[in-house]
Amino acid sequence: MTHRTRLLAVLWLSALAGTAQARTLEADIAKVRLPVATLDTVHVQLDWADNAPQGTLTLHAGRVQAPDLGIDARNLAWTCPLQRIDAMGWACDGTLRSAGKSFRLAIAFDEAGLRGTFRQGKATLAMQRATATPDFTRVDLTRVPIAWAQGLLAQSWADARLQGGTLDGRVDVDAPSKGPLRLSGRLNAAGVKLETTDATIASDKLAGTFDFDYRIFDAPHPSLLTLEGTLHGGEFLAGSVYVSLPDTPIGLSVRGEHREGAGWSLPRIAWTDGNALRVGGSAGFDEAATLRTLDLTLHSDDLSPLRDRYLSGLLGIAGLSDLTLTGALDAQVRVDGGEIHAFDFVPHHVDIVEPTDNRFAFHGLDGTLRFSRAAPIDSALQWHGGVLYGLEFGAASLPMRSEAGAIALTRAVSVPLLGGELRFDNMTLRPPADGKGADAVFGLSVDHLDIAKLATAFGWPAFRGQLTGHLPRAHYANERLDFEGGLSMAMFDGRVDVSSLSMERPFGVAPTLAADLHIDDLDLLALTEVFDFGSITGRLDGRIDQLRLVDWSVTAFDAELHTDPKRGVHQRISQRAVQSISSVGGSSLMTSLQGQLIGLFNDFGYKRIGIGCRLANEVCDMRGLHSGSDTFTIVEGAGLPRLTVIGHNRLVDWPTFVERLSAVGSGEVSPVVE
Amino acid sequence: MKAARWMGASVASMWALTACVTINVYFPAAEAKEAAKEFVEKVIGPDAVPATPAEPTPAKKPDGSGGGMASLLQRIDPLSLIGIGSAYAQGQPDISIKTPAIQAIQSRMASRFDASLRKGFDSGALGFGKDGLIVLREPGALELKDRAGMQAAVADDNRDRKAVYHEVAVANGHPEWEAQIRDVFAKQWVDSARGGWWYQDKGGAWKQK
Repeated sequence: MTHRTRLLAVLWLSALAGTAQARTLEADIAKVRLPVATLDTVHVQLDWADNAPQGTLTLHAGRVQAPDLGIDARNLAWTCPLQRIDAMGWACDGTLRSAGKSFRLAIAFDEAGLRGTFRQGKATLAMQRATATPDFTRVDLTRVPIAWAQGLLAQSWADARLQGGTLDGRVDVDAPSKGPLRLSGRLNAAGVKLETTDATIASDKLAGTFDFDYRIFDAPHPSLLTLEGTLHGGEFLAGSVYVSLPDTPIGLSVRGEHREGAGWSLPRIAWTDGNALRVGGSAGFDEAATLRTLDLTLHSDDLSPLRDRYLSGLLGIAGLSDLTLTGALDAQVRVDGGEIHAFDFVPHHVDIVEPTDNRFAFHGLDGTLRFSRAAPIDSALQWHGGVLYGLEFGAASLPMRSEAGAIALTRAVSVPLLGGELRFDNMTLRPPADGKGADAVFGLSVDHLDIAKLATAFGWPAFRGQLTGHLPRAHYANERLDFEGGLSMAMFDGRVDVSSLSMERPFGVAPTLAADLHIDDLDLLALTEVFDFGSITGRLDGRIDQLRLVDWSVTAFDAELHTDPKRGVHQRISQRAVQSISSVGGSSLMTSLQGQLIGLFNDFGYKRIGIGCRLANEVCDMRGLHSGSDTFTIVEGAGLPRLTVIGHNRLVDWPTFVERLSAVGSGEVSPVVE
Repeated sequence: MKAARWMGASVASMWALTACVTINVYFPAAEAKEAAKEFVEKVIGPDAVPATPAEPTPAKKPDGSGGGMASLLQRIDPLSLIGIGSAYAQGQPDISIKTPAIQAIQSRMASRFDASLRKGFDSGALGFGKDGLIVLREPGALELKDRAGMQAAVADDNRDRKAVYHEVAVANGHPEWEAQIRDVFAKQWVDSARGGWWYQDKGGAWKQK
């Protein structure tokens, strides 16, 4: 018995000894020191009626502190009937009140040792200490609210608040006068609800069984924790990482060290979630529980459950909630100073599919993808197919080298697309780091893409032709993709040159596409046939400047199209085309013929056709070959019968215009001929 | 005299040999506010307790009240193919939000607001940031099961908001107005917020409306 416990015993015995002479005994003690606790301003009173089998003990402590157990309570009052249990022993079982709550506390001691039971409702904490081993206390827990451990947790994790859950099991407390305080045992936790004060880390309904050993040393020696156990369901959130544990058991093994004034370091972490995820490694946190270092090796035989179990938080924030993953993966990740220092992904037949708007998909990913912030490292990634905004692309192999925080292709890579190919002449990719977003620079060649296939994929009119070009430098940063150089579309026997190409939010919300188009020598007959517009023969030149598509629909441009007379090229316009132009453009016909006679002619000669539109804010400002204050000439006739088409009211509502245009294409509109 | 309000043309100096004309195009703040108000109220929904009883007859807006989608709509008769010339003064910048992309984002934001964000504002978990974005300011006000979903909804909405501010500026021919448009919207989200919702003042402090 240490001198401290002896003091308590003497106190009690002196109290009991007094009963022979007096009905009431009182004692005030300024401070009582016990192995793990200190009691301040203690008042003991014992009332014992003459010849009564028991007395009434009342103990009041102004403050009880057990810093190692995180207990600091004020104004405890315990009243109980004191009775002998044998020649040497005493027992007292009564109500303990503290901070407006009442508990049941029973203490009994005899020659063999000390036993105590602390109860509230269904919760029971039973402790026992043998006289022979005064430093060793065994505590058995039955449905104990986990909040009772708040003080204990606060020592190592000050911001955490335990809000719910129960503990069952056994904890052995070894409090030798020299050496660490040691807490060990097995606990079964259920319904654990926890939250940090800033709510960045939280858990709910966590359940599990753990063997643990926690040794609290005096500074500067770090406190040591080992934890081995199994988790059975529940959920937790750490920053953006949301983990929803499956009902199947997850093995968890942790070894941790905690230094005063520093964070936790976990030299060993092992997480075993069946064949979905096995993780091993180490981690370090700073005092604010922010991850500083991480070295993990991951393996998954089946990636498909990972989204719902581990990735939904991160994917949700990235706007990829519906992303699906299948296949197997080996990976290593190293974080240093809170930044990713290196990673190494080895996918095995992995499919990644983002189904929203058919945004992207990669099928049959294999090979390696390695990233290094320091020394160079080579890798090679392959896929056997994929989809980008509904456009299917073919197999490709990407040889890469990573160094100094960037990944670059080591040679040009061709990707089959739309019957032709896209060739990445070079590419350097920097993943997000140092507070900067992802950044990519690449050179791209486009070789003989089939425009008919492109038109089918995007639901455009049945354009035919080929797209070819060279974009020597494209730069992606801040959600913006800018291209230098241009593309050329060979179509309708002429060409359309695309320049000043750029995209905003290419993989994000309402992606935009901006470009300037230069149109040269298109065969009008082929073009009008595609639109089922009636037929016009001749050649078309023009430009569409500052074209801007938002979410793949046209929102702005400044266009001007006109016919280009060529020697030997007939310039005729069919009666149907005249009617189409009239109904779309809202034009009236000024013709030398009576309006109703137009039907007598199949086609007309023309001298020039010209039309322009500046679209902004859904309003098209139309112009023609020549424009008056509110009229514009679209068709200037030639020969007899001479036909002139003049548009009236230059401002046209764009959606209506498009509606009319598509109605003409489907033959739904017949014009009013004046 | 709308034009005079925001566009000032002044002869800056005239010298014997050279003449220099400066044209200043000012940000149409009143029109922007009108457009923002309309957008925001479509997302948040009509105020449950309007300050004045709602007019049963629509389109009673006084003429010449400025820009905004309603006034533009008023000016365009969608049934008429061409009959808009007299009402729409070409060349006068306006703040219009009537592009299909912006409207698609607006309706997506409105359904997201009803499906999840409104609960976040009611519970105090969310607040309107001073930069026109939504901030998950008090995640602890949400059940854990809802928190990850709310984080995703906030991220989605902020992506939409950034796109709207940018596209409104671009659609109106002045990409450089993006920051001002964002400011106008930031104020409007707060102005249209319901009592009890949180917002960030200019200094970054959180206040409850």
